Amino acid sequence: MIDHGLLVQMLIGALLGISVYLPLATGQLSLATPAFYAVGGTLAALLSTRWAALGARVDGSFPLPSFLLELVLGGALAGLLALLVGRLVLRLQGIYLAIATIALVEIVRVAILNLPFTGGAVGIFGIPQPFPTAAGYLPPALALLLLAGWVCQRLEVMALGRAMAAVREDELAARCMGIATTRVKLSAFVLSAVLAGSTGALAAHFLNTWNARQGSFDTAVTMLAFVILGGSRSWLGPVLGGLLLTALPELLRPVGDVRLVLFGLVILLGPALFPQGLVTPALLERLGRWGEGSRP
Amino acid sequence: MSVAPPLLELDGLSCRFGGLVALDQVSFAVQPGEVFGLIGPNGAGKTTLFNLISGLTAASGGAVRWRGEPIDGLGPERINRLGIARTFQNLRLFDSLTLRENVLVGLHREARAPLLQALSGNAGFRARQAALEHRASELLALFDLDGRADDSAASLSYGDRRRLEIARALATGPALLLLDEPAAGMNPAEKEELCALIARLRERFQLTVLIIEHHVPLMMRLCDRLAVLNFGRRIALGTPERVRHDPAVIEAYLGGVADSGGSP
Repeated sequence: MIDHGLLVQMLIGALLGISVYLPLATGQLSLATPAFYAVGGTLAALLSTRWAALGARVDGSFPLPSFLLELVLGGALAGLLALLVGRLVLRLQGIYLAIATIALVEIVRVAILNLPFTGGAVGIFGIPQPFPTAAGYLPPALALLLLAGWVCQRLEVMALGRAMAAVREDELAARCMGIATTRVKLSAFVLSAVLAGSTGALAAHFLNTWNARQGSFDTAVTMLAFVILGGSRSWLGPVLGGLLLTALPELLRPVGDVRLVLFGLVILLGPALFPQGLVTPALLERLGRWGEGSRP
Repeated sequence: MSVAPPLLELDGLSCRFGGLVALDQVSFAVQPGEVFGLIGPNGAGKTTLFNLISGLTAASGGAVRWRGEPIDGLGPERINRLGIARTFQNLRLFDSLTLRENVLVGLHREARAPLLQALSGNAGFRARQAALEHRASELLALFDLDGRADDSAASLSYGDRRRLEIARALATGPALLLLDEPAAGMNPAEKEELCALIARLRERFQLTVLIIEHHVPLMMRLCDRLAVLNFGRRIALGTPERVRHDPAVIEAYLGGVADSGGSP
């Protein structure tokens, strides 16, 4: 039986998978998601422990509206940062963009480590809890995932979503079709950051403690693995990848240290056996036909 | 005097890549409604000229004017919005998208909907969406591609891919269409069809067409006027009849008088 805490972690993995997927949907390999995740989480940790007006109580509980407000603020701050940084880094392409975004992750990590008010290497402890048990985090995490999925689904029929696909396929041809490709890439980058920031705010409360290690290069690689295993052609791919790869290390715990080897094997063999990821357009089409066929 | 400026005017346009002079002081003007042909041997600078007009390459000298206003230095997306659309010599379709989606990308300016309306997918958005899809189907039907609207662009034959690229360019609502070797790789029957199609499109959309093509007989019939480029210079300009008998053109295509006897 999977415990509630693991389920919440899996949902957080799925959310971060979508966050990595969004820039990839415009053909941009950005690894900046952990930076925005860290920004959102740090903001929530600071606000809830330092700002009395939010209503944190001595017994460690926290009002739900304040928690929701933090989700919004975490997303907004991350989005604002993405808007500023994106204008610069999105001039780069391919591997250079990836390196620049890794640098951003490092800058944010070192800043959180050294700023006078973020708790240094120890981090921020005793983040108040809006819910008495881990199960309480399931509804907000699920709601956030549904919201993100719904936006991704709508994008498929919106002009912005089609423009994103066009930029991914051939940026130069897209420009010649009159598409402001810089703006399209920036939109996807900001959307990705907002999602990561809100997820960070949720995770900070859920984990109860927050420190600079939450957003590191390692996490960036793990999140990228979500998308590579799940598939990058539909938002369902990173969701599946995020759920699976977050659950796997925990489910493999009984086998001891061999689990790390098995986890590595999955990441290695996944792309070898499913080069397009687990969720491919062909699979979705087949599911769609099957769904239509089963209708009376 | 109130003489309308030409639709597109190239004024002493030059382009150098390092020591290579791709275009040297090329000037001509395209009048509204005409089909203007650009011919010349390989490497004459025809595609470079298209890249300059469509904003992909910066000119080293001279000016491009659109309806009398200078447009050089603008990015390709701005140029397209002014009403200049193009196709590519080596096809640049959005391969993994369907035919319909390729055309819908071209229609993106008409597809813009208020964010909340688009996110909620309300009746207004759905009506707009249906109208867009109808426009896309109409455009595809013009090219006999409507039957395959839901297939991926990658699955098309070469000739169909060329036609889809024209459909996608037309979707952006241009006044001037730049066609870069639209008949390349087509068989004679397909070339005939394409020729008729371009004539029909011009009627229907009040298009002005600037076309690069190697198939000279086709160009002679299709074009109102022709410019001939050789080694980056314009060596002739005028009606097909005049260009055909121009000694400089004959020399460029068949070689100089001295070695005309030596060709196989």
